Amino acid sequence: MAGTLIAARRPVIAGLGITEMGRVYGRSAEDFAAAAVRLAVADAGLDLSDVDGLLTNAGLVGGVGLGLQRRLQLRDLSVLSEIQSYGASAGAMVSYAAMAVQAGMANAVVCVFADTPLREGLGSSAAYSRPRPAVGFDGQSRHAGLTSVSARYALAARRHMAAYGTTSEHLGAIAVAQRAWAAGNPLAQMREPITLADHQASRWIAEPLRLLDCCLVSNGGVAVLVTSAERAAHLPQPPVHILGWAQSHPGYPDAGESSFGLESGAARSGPAALKMAGVGLSDVTVAELYDCYTFTVLLSLEDYGFCAKGEGGPFAASGALAPKSSLAFNTGGGQLSSYYMWGMTPLSEAVIQARGHGGERQAPRNDVILVSGNGGILDHHSTLVLSPYASG
Amino acid sequence: MTITRDDASAAFFDGTARGVLLLRRCDDCGRRSAPRTLTCPACHSARLAWEPARGTGTLASWTVVHHRPAGGVPAPRTVAGLVQLDEGPWLHARIDGIDPSGLRAGLPLTVAFDRPLDGEAVPVFQSAD
Repeated sequence: MAGTLIAARRPVIAGLGITEMGRVYGRSAEDFAAAAVRLAVADAGLDLSDVDGLLTNAGLVGGVGLGLQRRLQLRDLSVLSEIQSYGASAGAMVSYAAMAVQAGMANAVVCVFADTPLREGLGSSAAYSRPRPAVGFDGQSRHAGLTSVSARYALAARRHMAAYGTTSEHLGAIAVAQRAWAAGNPLAQMREPITLADHQASRWIAEPLRLLDCCLVSNGGVAVLVTSAERAAHLPQPPVHILGWAQSHPGYPDAGESSFGLESGAARSGPAALKMAGVGLSDVTVAELYDCYTFTVLLSLEDYGFCAKGEGGPFAASGALAPKSSLAFNTGGGQLSSYYMWGMTPLSEAVIQARGHGGERQAPRNDVILVSGNGGILDHHSTLVLSPYASG
Repeated sequence: MTITRDDASAAFFDGTARGVLLLRRCDDCGRRSAPRTLTCPACHSARLAWEPARGTGTLASWTVVHHRPAGGVPAPRTVAGLVQLDEGPWLHARIDGIDPSGLRAGLPLTVAFDRPLDGEAVPVFQSAD
């Protein structure tokens, strides 16, 4: 008897929902998540009653999970799970949704992230360096001074600098280029142009990372709706085909042979996702790279192969990331300049670019879009390959 | 900062109280690993014993953490090190007594112990020169 697994069901993103974003107070993470789901479903031209799958990813404050089904009164879901691989979660959710659609498990799967790390009256830095008891081996690390995510990424960046001669100015070139892109993005929170001198004058957070090497912190929510190409053909938005996906979680050992700071999961998940998509790196025309820090971008550029290992700094300093380059990077300004929604930041911009809805920042060629996700301290990596076309 | 122990770190902090930096050593393959390790990174054995480290190592990476200025006082700085012990494992430890301008990868280090009034004794590293 023939089964119902239909290999030819091609998954697409047919809906995108982005809530009000930034210093928005008085709403819970679940409030933002519910709003994002509603926006994504409406954007897809569907109703909540059409949704039969929901994948949730909670951020720093939690509170986004299985309860969202009841919150939104979703009936008879055939897919429902909480997903967590930190900044790699958006890519992971979309890949699981794509597989569910391919397998016929579900027909309309919404993937949502929302978070409210900002508290009224507290600075952005307070969000990701909250006081907590110094217990056990984590206490040892905190005693060392590693009380923030920034300090741990600084260790990674410094190791790369020591190995390859990467400089603060190299990192600055990434911040400057992305701010230039953000100028064209009405959703971006930081649109005033900056110069390399501005970057160099910004205060140290944890050397070698300066303030302008660090992402924003935002309250808000983003959701995407994944369905089949066949269904999307009758829906209002241009479909965004999900051509390839992969993850890599290096599991760095605490020892000298670790490639921590020198190589990320992009080195494995990139080639795997491109292979699934049937395209090569040279076919990529837009890259939306996860950018919790400028250094994350630099390392990802090397690991995906956009430049040679160790050449990420000179590559960035060459102006390759700025608008008007042949290959468009982080076209919305990224997490550094637009909004920080973990992996939903690069994913949402990729959807906008794939639809051709980028306005003055629209990349001239959007055939093959690579989207990265990065979580933990370079511990988790996801790659998606998206396209306006059914094959790359 | 007061450090308290938990079950997983109790033996480690018993060591620091005696002025001994303890590592894990695999009963099956002999591989040394970091104190927080519960599974041997080489052979996946769960049989890990505690063993004193030599207490020497080199600087693998570091960051100068700039804390938030408060009350008009200049922002304090902490040098956080990723120390590669001579046995191979890595340890996060504060680097004491070295001006940040003198920090470089491979700098030889030796262990000392910070003994706050409250809580556990904590390994820190100083220049071996």
